[in-house]
Amino acid sequence: MTDHAWLDAAAPYALGALTAEERAAFEAHLADCAVCRADVQALGEVSGLLAHAAAAATPPPALRERILREARAVRPLAAGGRGLPWLAVAAAVVLAVAAGVAYLKERGSRQMLERAVAVARDSLAAQQQLVATLLAPDVNTAVLASKGRPPTARVFWNPSRHRVVMAVFDLPPAPAGRIYQLWAIQTGKAPVSLGIFNTAPDGRLTTSLDVPPALVAFDVTAVTEEPAGGSPQPTQQPFLVGKLQGGE
Amino acid sequence: MAAGDDRALGELYDRHAATAYALALAIVGERADAEEVVADAFGQMWRTSAQFDPARGSVPAWLATITRTRALDLLRARGRRARAIERAAAVGDAGFATPLAGGGDAPDRGVERTEARRLVTRSLAELPEPQRRVLELAYFGGLTQSEIAAALREPLGTVKTRMRAGLEKLRASLAPLLSEGR
Repeated sequence: MTDHAWLDAAAPYALGALTAEERAAFEAHLADCAVCRADVQALGEVSGLLAHAAAAATPPPALRERILREARAVRPLAAGGRGLPWLAVAAAVVLAVAAGVAYLKERGSRQMLERAVAVARDSLAAQQQLVATLLAPDVNTAVLASKGRPPTARVFWNPSRHRVVMAVFDLPPAPAGRIYQLWAIQTGKAPVSLGIFNTAPDGRLTTSLDVPPALVAFDVTAVTEEPAGGSPQPTQQPFLVGKLQGGE
Repeated sequence: MAAGDDRALGELYDRHAATAYALALAIVGERADAEEVVADAFGQMWRTSAQFDPARGSVPAWLATITRTRALDLLRARGRRARAIERAAAVGDAGFATPLAGGGDAPDRGVERTEARRLVTRSLAELPEPQRRVLELAYFGGLTQSEIAAALREPLGTVKTRMRAGLEKLRASLAPLLSEGR
């Protein structure tokens, strides 16, 4: 593996030290190269730990309440419903493994693990529902793009389940205070919101959204960037647009 | 929102906020900005929590990634990146990490975190200075490999080699904190 031409890109990549072009080229290579993927995964985990090297600092006490207050005002983006409990237990489980016995002595850890199991079950059910939505014979598909360049997205519309599944690629997370919103458009009518979403730091997202009951058909889907919480109607031109194809 | 969700977010905050805040502060350099970054990072985590995929990394790693990205975005938005580059390049042996003695860790449930800090800080301090330097400039300074090469007046290839050597050494010394070491 030492003579691999791309090898010296993995460490800068893991440290976030490539330019956008360098990164895009390397990621294109990563898609086909399991050796580099494994390398990046291992080095990325190491570089992530550098966060612990920052000089210790204590956040002001008011920050905790502010974050909880702001969270109460925003509905988390649903993929099978509850996100955060599962996140917290995932955190707890990871820490439990890392800290071993010490963690297990902590009060409440048993309940946490029980919740982890319950949440994993929910998560599996959500995955199964997602697959079922995708595999139905009457599914319509739209490929959303902007002039053939990234980002791109695919929307699968399942009229019988009244759900859409959306997969987004190469879309950086929305800036602070902003969010992305998916719209369904029927020719001659006002756009209908299918929900708000944001991508992960790697620019990807797969999510499943309920379609409003009143909406039975639409021809086009589009994505705009909106203020956090979403808008009743789009406030800008969509940067991703796609026409629905197939089905029935 | 259910009461359980609220507790979960609080729990997450209690476990990881001090690390996220310290990271943000190391990057942006000002307390008020660091608070913004941490609030943003938790907000993003909250909104996108359903998409979290444990197969791709741990929650603390995810939070650190978001926090770092947001902090570097803020530097750019404030037009302070040039200053950050100067500062990063000018930082002497002290670097971004400080010895634990100067620490004063937050008084929350930080047993695991303190362990991680101790090990990471020590391992980083044990690296040859040129290797530690490039890792810190990239991670905390947000510099690209080419910018680092320019700031240090070293060939790009040297910078790449040091990055890899530094990460490989850390990988060995931090094995207890890594999934492959478990």
